[in-house]
Parts: sequence; structure tokens; C-alpha cells
Amino acid sequence: MARPSMDRIDARAKVTGAARYSADHKLPGMVHGHLVTSTIARGRVVSMDLDAARAAGGVVEIYTPDHRPAFQGALTGLAAVFAETRPPLADREVHYHGQIVALVLAETVEQARDAAALIRVTYEAQPPNSSFEDAKEHAVSPPSVPGLPLGVPIKEPENVDIKAALAASEVTIERTYEIPPRHHSMMEPHAAVAVWQDGRLTIYSGTQGPAAHAMELSGVLGVEQADVHVISPYVGGGFGGKAFTWAPAMLAAAAARELGRPVKVVTGREQLFTVTGHRAASSQTFALGARRDGRLNAIEHATISQSLGEDPGYRTTPKYYAAPNVHISMKITPGLDLPTATIMRAPGDESGSFALECVMDELAEELGMDPIELRMRNYLESTLKGKLPYSSKHLDECYRVGAERFGWSRRGERPGAVTDGEWQVGMGMATAVLDAGRAPTTVRVAFRPNGTATVGNATSDAGTGMWTVMAMTGARALGLPADRIRPALGDSALPFAGSSDIYGAVGSAATATVTPAILTAAREAIAKLAEHAATAEGSPLRGADDVRYAEGRLTGGGKAVTFGELLTLTGTAEVGAQGTSADLDTTHAYASYAAHFCEVRVNRWTGEPLLSRFTTVVDAGAILNAKTARGQITGGVLFGLAAAMCEEGRVEGATGRISNANLADYLLPVNADTVEFDVHFLDHPDTRLSPTGARGIGELGTVGAAAAFANAVHNATGRRVRTLPITPDKLLA
Amino acid sequence: MRPYTYAAARSVGEALERAGDGSAYLAGGTTLVDLMKLEVVSPAHVVDITAVPLRGIRRGPRGLFIGAMERMADVAGHHLVAEPYPVVAEALRQSASPQIRNMATIGGNLLQRTRCGYFRDPATPCNRREPGSGCPAVDGHNRSHAILGTSDACVATHPSDLAVALTALDARLSLRGAGGERTLRLADFYRLPGGTPHLENELRPGELITGVTVPALPWARRSTYVKVRDRRSYEFALCSAAVAVHVKGGVIREARVAAGGVGTRPWRLPAVEEALRGRPMRTETFEAAVAHAADGARPLARNAFKPALLRRTIVRALVHLAG
Ligand SMILES: Cc1cc2nc3c(=O)[nH]c(=O)nc-3n(C[C@H](O)[C@H](O)[C@H](O)COP(=O)(O)OP(=O)(O)OC[C@H]3O[C@@H](n4cnc5c(N)ncnc54)[C@H](O)[C@@H]3O)c2cc1C
Repeated sequence: MARPSMDRIDARAKVTGAARYSADHKLPGMVHGHLVTSTIARGRVVSMDLDAARAAGGVVEIYTPDHRPAFQGALTGLAAVFAETRPPLADREVHYHGQIVALVLAETVEQARDAAALIRVTYEAQPPNSSFEDAKEHAVSPPSVPGLPLGVPIKEPENVDIKAALAASEVTIERTYEIPPRHHSMMEPHAAVAVWQDGRLTIYSGTQGPAAHAMELSGVLGVEQADVHVISPYVGGGFGGKAFTWAPAMLAAAAARELGRPVKVVTGREQLFTVTGHRAASSQTFALGARRDGRLNAIEHATISQSLGEDPGYRTTPKYYAAPNVHISMKITPGLDLPTATIMRAPGDESGSFALECVMDELAEELGMDPIELRMRNYLESTLKGKLPYSSKHLDECYRVGAERFGWSRRGERPGAVTDGEWQVGMGMATAVLDAGRAPTTVRVAFRPNGTATVGNATSDAGTGMWTVMAMTGARALGLPADRIRPALGDSALPFAGSSDIYGAVGSAATATVTPAILTAAREAIAKLAEHAATAEGSPLRGADDVRYAEGRLTGGGKAVTFGELLTLTGTAEVGAQGTSADLDTTHAYASYAAHFCEVRVNRWTGEPLLSRFTTVVDAGAILNAKTARGQITGGVLFGLAAAMCEEGRVEGATGRISNANLADYLLPVNADTVEFDVHFLDHPDTRLSPTGARGIGELGTVGAAAAFANAVHNATGRRVRTLPITPDKLLA
Repeated sequence: MRPYTYAAARSVGEALERAGDGSAYLAGGTTLVDLMKLEVVSPAHVVDITAVPLRGIRRGPRGLFIGAMERMADVAGHHLVAEPYPVVAEALRQSASPQIRNMATIGGNLLQRTRCGYFRDPATPCNRREPGSGCPAVDGHNRSHAILGTSDACVATHPSDLAVALTALDARLSLRGAGGERTLRLADFYRLPGGTPHLENELRPGELITGVTVPALPWARRSTYVKVRDRRSYEFALCSAAVAVHVKGGVIREARVAAGGVGTRPWRLPAVEEALRGRPMRTETFEAAVAHAADGARPLARNAFKPALLRRTIVRALVHLAG
């Protein structure tokens, strides 16, 4: 069956530069801001010598802890948990290396940067507490956050004695996996252009959730949410880094209000590593107890991380395998002098899947069992807690189809068995599970006299393909070609329901959230249009009682008219309606699945592990646009593989400095590191989840990819690397 | 970036005339502009030499001459380079990215500065940048740093791949200064850091590199460059080896071996060359010959793997040449 597939409707605008991202906006009288960040991780700003900077050409204002633009409130909602709650320039205290200590505003960007370089800051430095490694032993149980399941221990059964269950198992293994911090490193840095008029703020600021961004900014600035208008039609990558509001946007808005002029603040590439969030380092210990036949008897999963954002236990372990005894716990290391951690693509899922899918591989080896066979023996049919059935689960088919496509049967059972000249060749696999969901949301669909229809929602397109999926779904719902649909998104003034849909494109749920609401809204809009045709003055169908709509045409009373003609004849600017999607059916649990298969070649002399093949088979419900869906999966897989291959934030424990906070030293895979990914989608629409049957995929590829790579490296070499990334030095014999 | 004055020269004479105290030549700019933006270097005066005719790739009596202003990409693809000296072409092709290789010049490449993160961050001390300020790399993040030729004052590697290949081939630099012309072996050009790591090489103030001469070495057709790094492109070497062998009747008559990513300058390994000479061209020979390659190395806390990696990188290069 041919799957719908369409080029991105925003592609031309993006490749020609016509798409305007936040920092592309230039407003008359605009002032440019440049951030100055601390060079110590803990201590106080004693003094700042601003004379040279003030005297430099074009400087308009310099904000410092002693002279800062006013903030009236704090971040609210989830941002209070997952973003930096201390307002920028709050006081002279320094809590991490790279903290904002000044904002220089000047007539040009060069003048701002030049003046910033002239500022001399004197610190009273204290030895920082910046080593996660050292902090691990003092980790504590996290305080519980109302409404948030993260960090809460999970026990099954409630009175489980996990140590006893492990001890009673025929085979037990215990392993610890370490993952360093990671930074979103999206192409578009955090940037904002802010302008006030009559007490209302308009801000062009790249965000995954325009409405949440408006809510958070309104809280910080002490104005009504309706008085903050966020405009963000194009976002150059978010990955969770643009889910919440960070200091650069706050400062742009506050400074613009103070100065009475538009203000632009663009975060420097190095500064992004510290003034915005990152994925915290984590350390996970798994203990598995199993019977000789592979059936799991006990799973203990204990995690330590910097903060709640990275909770692999909650996110991963209950969703993969059936076991009668489960104990999941998390500790955090509060008070570290490190930048604020936040969520990052598949938060907890990525790290958890790495550890779990590696330890399963280790157990398979211990048992002398094929890794897929071990997974099938522990196949989960319903949720761990509450035993809810899954709406539509075809993970077994993913394994089967994937093994076939990839040639899994050619895998050498014994590690190190397959060589090709100087290369040791290995295969590994891993499972990906990602909770699927959707929030009720509101979409407005409207017909216009020029023959087009608008479809609007306050979500965002962070490169995911939402523009295109909205056009395609609108086209389907209205029976029109997609080029007659005008999607609208990336604007806080567009409709949303005020459920968790306020956060826009997060949790891989945007497509699943928005598309059913488009169907609802389209129905309502068609009803409105039919009524208009039957009643409006000037309508050729006026008075007809059998008005019908199909494919852009209205018929009734023996006459026919296109909606464009109709609205032109009736002199109506638009006829439309809002529609809100139904609540989720909670009798079932929802998740997307994938099976990854990876082949690596490790040089027998120098240890470089090179990716040579990768197959992913995806069970994510209906695929609404095969082209952008494939892009999401390959991008996600590479995102996950990056953690295995090279990506790592390196924190100097003694200074709190990130020693590779730039894109030359913070290694992301380049094209030469990748292969042509083989992505295959199963076709099982999840109509219980929504009428469009689409589940989330944005993060799915990321989940499990690193484990597939690590398992392949082990199969190639016999070496088990449990600390990411897997660099050549770790594989030298 | 600090303010500076700029002038473009059209001839060597003009360039030399315009250069002075605190000036810098601008070639491809891929190192210079980068470091100026970071304020690691802040020349008062920049002399653009992109229009100075220091071009040409030609065979001469002393070997192959390459003009200092030739671009890395052009040199890598030139038949007078690629056929007789594969090691040079391979080293260039594994350097940086296509975009950078299209901009960057041979002269600039040999004068590029270390990639040590402390050198590149003016907020940290660095003896190379600010003599006497200290070296955080000794106890800091030193995974990529040198193990050979280091001192307590500096453990930074020389990053150029090309320089490693040219060191193996014993290339000579042509230099022009106010005092006239001179040539210098590349091997004598780079200094060890010792107590004065800020004195990186023998270039005199205002002096220009005009070109490089690679001596004729017919058997260098059998040469290769192996570069080990954390990703497959656009990354500096953890360790690299430039190797050429002259094999007759299955026996190694002559060998050239130099290494990158491990030394404070491109590191020639005469002891390994010696140990290869007169031995059969096979893996056992290679493994025996590299046994002492890292003798005298001073590994740091995070690069203890480098001695082993050095030995293995050389073996891998030799195995390629044997294959
Ligand atoms: C991201 C990145 C990755 C890189 N990766 C690699 C790599 O993997 N391997 C590698 O070898 N290199 C690598 N490089 C370095 C690159 O090769 C050098 O930056 C480049 O070769 C410098 O040449 P240029 O012409 O741009 O020099 P410029 O930046 O113009 O000059 C460099 C220095 O040389 C001086 N200079 C230039 N020409 C002359 C001359 N003729 N006489 C006297 N002085 C002169 C300048 O004053 C300056 O001090 C990388 C660079 C970057 C930015």
C-alpha cells in the first residue's frame, strides 16, 4: 500500500532563506544584546569594571546584578521543575561556570560583543562542587513534585523484597552504566527579539510551545498571559531545549520594556552550553534475576542523576519486560555548581533504554540465548501496574521483520567471531518503547474566499514536519489538495485547549495531539459553511435544505458552488469553526515501538568502532507522512547513536568548566559517521488512540539506538563498554 | 575580536614591508580569524597575503615544490602530489573539512596553533598564550594531549596532519624575511616547549613562509597516512602515523615513520625506522619494530592509552602498505 508522502511545504522557504527564524527579525530602533558569562563556578562577583565597555562606541545600556531589568515573578508550571528558576542577574552569587553576569546592549551586534569583551569582572571564587562523580555517593531521594511521577519509587508488588527475589533467581547479573551529560546543540541558538507596545509584549523567540512560552514569560514579567504574544513559526531544532523559557528570552523581554526599544538577544554557541538546559549525567545500576530458560524473575533499577529531568527508571523499566518482582528507584545530586539540567529528546527513555537493553544483552550472553529470544520470553502484554492492555502492540513483528531485513541470522554467536581483514564485525539489536499519548487540543479551521482553508493551532514545528502534516490532514479532512490548505502554527494567539497541549511539540505527541483535532474542527467548519450556504444573503444555495459539502464544493437545491465562489458572492472574509479533540480513552495504555539492528566494524589495531549498517522497524500506528516520518526516525536514531559514538559534555570537576563547550570539541556525528538507514514502518493504525491512528515517533528512534550500537561492539570485540561514548581508547586490546 | 588595521599585499616585498611588530599575515584565515574571535591572538595589524603570488606545485631539482599559498584541497588533488607522495595527499584529505580545505593554505596549515582547549580559552591560564601563567592541562582535561616532547610548562600537541607527513618525508621550508631568503628542515623548525612554550618555531618576526620542498624519494609512492580519531571526519587526530617503506624482495630497505597527535611537535620515530630496516615486510616485524615507539613517553591522567595507540597506529599503517 502506498503511504502518503509529501515534501515539506516549508522546505523551499528554508533552503532559500526565506523562512525567518527568531534572530532574523530586525525591527526599527532595535538594540542588540550580548551576554557576559562567569568564568568561575562558585563564588561572588566582587566588582565589575564597566568603564571601558561604557566608553566603547554604540553602547546603550549594561545590565549587571547591581542594575538589572525588573522581573516581577518566577517561572510557573513544569518550567519551575525543568528550567532555571533563579532569574538572570538575580544577585552577585555565582552558582555555575558560564552563568550570566551581564547583558550589554548596543546599537549593533558587533558593538555589543566588542563592549562585552571589555568588561572585567573580579570574583571571589570558592572551590566549586561540580563533580557529579564525587556527588554520587551523597545522592539523596528527590523531593516529590505534586502531579509529577518522576523520581517516585516503583515497586511491584508493593511489598516487594527485591534483594530476596534476586537471591532466589537462578541467574543474576548486576551492571552499572554511566552516561555523561549531553547538550541539545540545536542548529538555531536560543534567540529572541522583543518589542513592547501599550503594555503588550510581542516576542519572536524560537520555542517548542508558543503558548507555554507566553505563559511563562507573563509570569516572569508580571503581565497577563494574553498580553504576551509569542511568534515562532520556524524553530531550528529544540529537542526539549526549547520546551521551556530560558534567560536569553527573559532578558530580551525585560530589557526591551526597560529601554522602550526593541531588543534582540542571541545566545552565543559556547553560552548555549551553560545558560540553557542540558541532559544531566546519569549512573544506572541494573540487577536482573532470571530463570535458566530466560524468564525474568526480578528487575532492580537504581539511578543517580543530577535532577528529575533524567529519570530512566520511571520512563523505561516498567514498559519493556514482564517480571514478577520489580524495584525502581532514583536519587539525585542536588546543589551541584553546574548549569541547570532540563529535558532532552526522550528524557530518561534514552538513558534508560541504553542501560536496560545492554543489560538484557549481557543476560542473553550469560544464558547463552539469542537476544531476541530472551526479549520474546519476557514480552510485556499489559502495563506493569494496573495491568492495562496496550492499545496496539506489534513489537514482536518489529523483531521478526527487522531480523529478516537485517540478516540477523548471520550474526556470530560468539563475540569476535566475524572478521573482515583488519575489521572485527559485530551485530547488535535493541528495543525501543516510547509512551504514546495525546492531549486534547483545539484547532480552528476556516474557509476563505480565495479558495484556501486555514488550519491553525498554537503548536510548533521544530523541524519535525508539523507544517506539512497539518496541511495533509487538513486536506484529507476537507477533501482539498494540500496546496489549498494554509496551516498556521508557532503563534501563541492561535487556539489551544489549555491542557498539556500548551507545551506544544514535546513528548513526541504533537502529531497525535493536533491531527485528531483537525478532523473535529474540519467537521464543525463544514457544518458552519453549509449553514452559511443555506442562509447567507447572496448565496446561490440560499434556502436549500439539502446542502452538502464535498471536495471544496457545496451542492443543494440542484445548484453547486465552490466555497471560494460562495464566500466571494456573500462577501464573507471567512467561515470557520474551532474543534476540540476528545479525551483519551484510558482503558488502554499506549506506546510506540521499534526494533533496532546495528552492525559495526571495529578496527582490530586501533579500535575505532564504525557504524556500517542500521535497520529500524517501527510500530507507531498510522504514518501520516512517510517522508517526514522517515526523517524523524533517522534523525532520532542518529541522535541516539551520537551518544554511543562520540557525544559527551566534559565537565572539569575541579573548576565546573565544560571543557568542550563549542562545536569543534563537542563532537556530533558528521555525515561520514552515518550510513543509509534502513527504516521500515509497520502499518497498524492505532484508532483507539485517535481517529487519525497516529502515535508519536519524534523520540522513538533515539530510544535504544545507543544500546544497539554498544551490543554490536560487544559482539564484534567481546568488549562491553558501559560508559558512553564508546571511543577507540576504550576498545584497545 | 579587538580592533586592528588591515592591509592587503600584492607581492612578497610589499608583504614584508607592511609586516611589523604585532602584525599577522592572513592567508586562508581559518586559524587566524578563529583565534582572533576568541581573543587568543589580537594582532594590531593584519596583512592579507591572499593576493601574494606564492603559488605553484612543480617538480624541481631538489624535489617537489609547493607554494605556501596553495590551498589544501588543490594540493591534495594534484597529480604531482597524489601519485609520488600518497602520504601527503591522504594526510590532507583527512584534515578538517572540505570547506576548510578549500580555504586553508599550506603555509597557514604548518603555522596553525595547538587545539589545546586551555590555549583556546583566554579565561584560563596557559603558558603558551601567557608565559608564566601556568598549565591547567597537566592536571585537567588532557585526553587529547601529548605524551612525547612535553614539559611541565606545556603538554599541547601540534595539530597539523600535513606537518606529520612532511616530517616523515624530511621536507624543507623556504622562508623570506627582511634579511633575505633561507631554508630550514621542517624537523628543525618546530621547537619543543621546554620552559618557553610560547616560542613555537623558528620563524622570525615578519618572516614569510614562501613554500615547502619535498625531497625526491621515489619509494615514497608506497606511503600512507593513518589517522585515528573520535569521528570519521572533521576531527583532529588522537594519534596518526605517516609511513613510507622501500621494500625489495620482501625486505624493508628503508622506512620513514612519523606520528601525530602524540607529540608537542610532529614526531619522527628514527628508532622505529631503524628497527624496520633489513627485516621482512610482515606483521611480526611491524609489531616488534614499534615495541619501543613510545619510549620516553609521559602519559597524563586521561591519555594513558596513547602509547599503545601509537604503536598500533603505526602497525596498522604498515599493514596497509604490506597489503
Ligand atoms: C574546525 C577545524 C578543523 C580542523 N581540522 C584539522 C585537521 O583535522 N587537521 C589539520 O591538519 N588541520 C585542521 N584544521 C586546521 C586547518 O588546517 C588550518 O586552520 C589551516 O590549514 C590554516 O591555514 P590558513 O591558510 O587558513 O591559515 P591562516 O589562518 O590564514 O594562518 C594561520 C597562521 O599562519 C600564519 N601564516 C599563514 N600563512 C603564512 C605564510 N605564508 N607565512 C607566514 N605566516 C603565515 C598566519 O599569520 C597565522 O598565524 C582545522 C581547522 C578547523 C577550523
